[in-house]
Amino acid sequence: MILILSANKDFTTNEVIKWLHIFDKKYIRVHEFELFEIKVIDKKILLESQRNSFYIDDINSVWFRRGGIKFNRLQFQNESVNKIMDETQFCLEDYVIKKLESKRHINKQSNNRTNKLLILEKAVAVGLDVPTYFLADNTDHINLGKTITKSISENIMVKSAFDDFDGILYTSIIDKHEDEVFFPTFFQEKIEKEFEIRCFYLNGKVWSCAIFSQNDEQTKIDNRIYNYGKPNRNVRYTLPPEIHHKICILMTELDYNCGSIDFIKSIDGKFYFLEVNPVGQFLGISDICNYALEKEIADYL
Amino acid sequence: MRYFNLFSSVLLTKGASRILISDLERNVSELQSLDLYNLTEDLKLNSIEDVIKEYDRDSGEIINEYIAFLLENEYGFISHNNWDNSFNQLSFNYDSSDVISNLFLELDNFSVLHKIRSAMDTIDIRYLVIYSIRQLSKEELGELDFIFENTPLEGIEIYCPYYDQINDAFLSYLSDTSKRIYKLVLYNCDTITFSTNENLKFSLEYTKDYITIKNCGIVDLKYFNTNNSKIFESKNYNSCLFKKIGIDIDGNIKNCPLMPDHFGNIRNTSLEKVLEMAGFKKYWNLTKDHIEICKDCEFRYICTDCRAFTEKTHQNKEGLDTSKPLKCGYDPYTGEWSEWSTNPLKEKAMRYYDFKIKQ
Repeated sequence: MILILSANKDFTTNEVIKWLHIFDKKYIRVHEFELFEIKVIDKKILLESQRNSFYIDDINSVWFRRGGIKFNRLQFQNESVNKIMDETQFCLEDYVIKKLESKRHINKQSNNRTNKLLILEKAVAVGLDVPTYFLADNTDHINLGKTITKSISENIMVKSAFDDFDGILYTSIIDKHEDEVFFPTFFQEKIEKEFEIRCFYLNGKVWSCAIFSQNDEQTKIDNRIYNYGKPNRNVRYTLPPEIHHKICILMTELDYNCGSIDFIKSIDGKFYFLEVNPVGQFLGISDICNYALEKEIADYL
Repeated sequence: MRYFNLFSSVLLTKGASRILISDLERNVSELQSLDLYNLTEDLKLNSIEDVIKEYDRDSGEIINEYIAFLLENEYGFISHNNWDNSFNQLSFNYDSSDVISNLFLELDNFSVLHKIRSAMDTIDIRYLVIYSIRQLSKEELGELDFIFENTPLEGIEIYCPYYDQINDAFLSYLSDTSKRIYKLVLYNCDTITFSTNENLKFSLEYTKDYITIKNCGIVDLKYFNTNNSKIFESKNYNSCLFKKIGIDIDGNIKNCPLMPDHFGNIRNTSLEKVLEMAGFKKYWNLTKDHIEICKDCEFRYICTDCRAFTEKTHQNKEGLDTSKPLKCGYDPYTGEWSEWSTNPLKEKAMRYYDFKIKQ
């Protein structure tokens, strides 16, 4: 039995599930708001929610896509009892999650939060080219027009805080100095790009797509600012073997066996590493490059 | 030296008199000359400078214009010293997670729908197209979605006769209760009793004409779509019949309700069994590259094809009908469209299918 931890309406999950049907593989799909209780029946651990009920021993592989297993934690009136029971419940929950992660899996619930700063340090350590970056609380040392800023956190969707704001945190160029000191912010050297490369990684295999966004002023800095009239060209691409090799080392070091990785190919011919997202979208490149990645995932599970 | 690289998502289909450039990312196709095609072939083997050198001075100008055209439309890009081999060719593999993508049903009795529902326990059917010869009540239309609750069926398209009970309340009820209906076509619709700007979840079309199931199979520019899954399918399989199943008014299971061969009746066999029958899939692999005349047509990978009504002029060794669709008015050798139904050369085939010959 395959366990899929995902969001209720995640389209990518639906596409993978269609292939599981074809392969005749049985699965359980868990939504993001499901709360599980840990029960024991005949010495075996059973997880039960309003929608699902399964023994963890019956799970052969796990795809951590979104959300994760969440537990309904009991509260007790007596504070001391509550404390000890809280600790006990945590231990059991931790055991269940780690036990599930010890099975064949795609990504891990316990490792789903990326840290851009740590990832960049590791990327440098494995020998990938990374555009110079630093944190600052002012713009004193910023080379205007040649520096970009992006969010430190990976949570790219924020609930729209202002009108006319779509809630996605885009990368942008710094074009003027700020007088005041601000919260520590991530700055990075802007690379003159020939094109961007979006890769999908699964267990040592890499599928790449070159994105020609440079021809288009609208998408030059962040290709997610989509030009619907004239979409960017997305083309099947093969990375040089040494870059491919370094990606594999980096992903192993980060303990991700699946994820999306972004590069820039600069006009001077170098491949600059930008970031890794273990739960990124990949159907776009799968479709345009005809890579059938949803089938690859279903096949692996 | 400069080298021209065609983007892999740009497909050039060579016809007898022209080519079709299909842009698989932007989902558009355009017609161009054979000269442009020959140039792109040259540019695969030689640098831009060498190609220009081959032509005399006047043509050199034209070559530059053609290359400017290709670059302007972003059909390709220029690299220096050599072609850029890091860019791989697109695979034209067609791999889909449906067992049956399309079930075409000529509906009279709802019991057939329950039969189809039970087949869906083992086979994934993605879309259902229903042509109804009789009026469908509000209850019947509402029931459609209910029958296919918790199945992999994603969409239902319905063609049924109009009657005066179909009003705004009726349509908004249907829109609110149905998850799968994405298109409703009302025929025999002389006056309308509903407003056409209602905000419905499905698309609503109506026509005065009496649509019969025999209206299907028309090959025309307006039905051509450029998108990668359509093109990948056409390159590998028959774009009309691949992963399609049909059930006619009498319950006979066919490749399409309009085809003569049947593989049993839904009353006494199952769709699963029919799918396993020898011969059921015989047309699935017949691509346009093997259909006479069509194989010389630049539209062959975006064409809808039709195996039910053909000109009945050719048959291959396996006994498959490899003739051009009857209801296609295009001649790839002259590059001209004309009205198919008045073409005297098609008279014999039309008489065979019992079509009225327009004077």
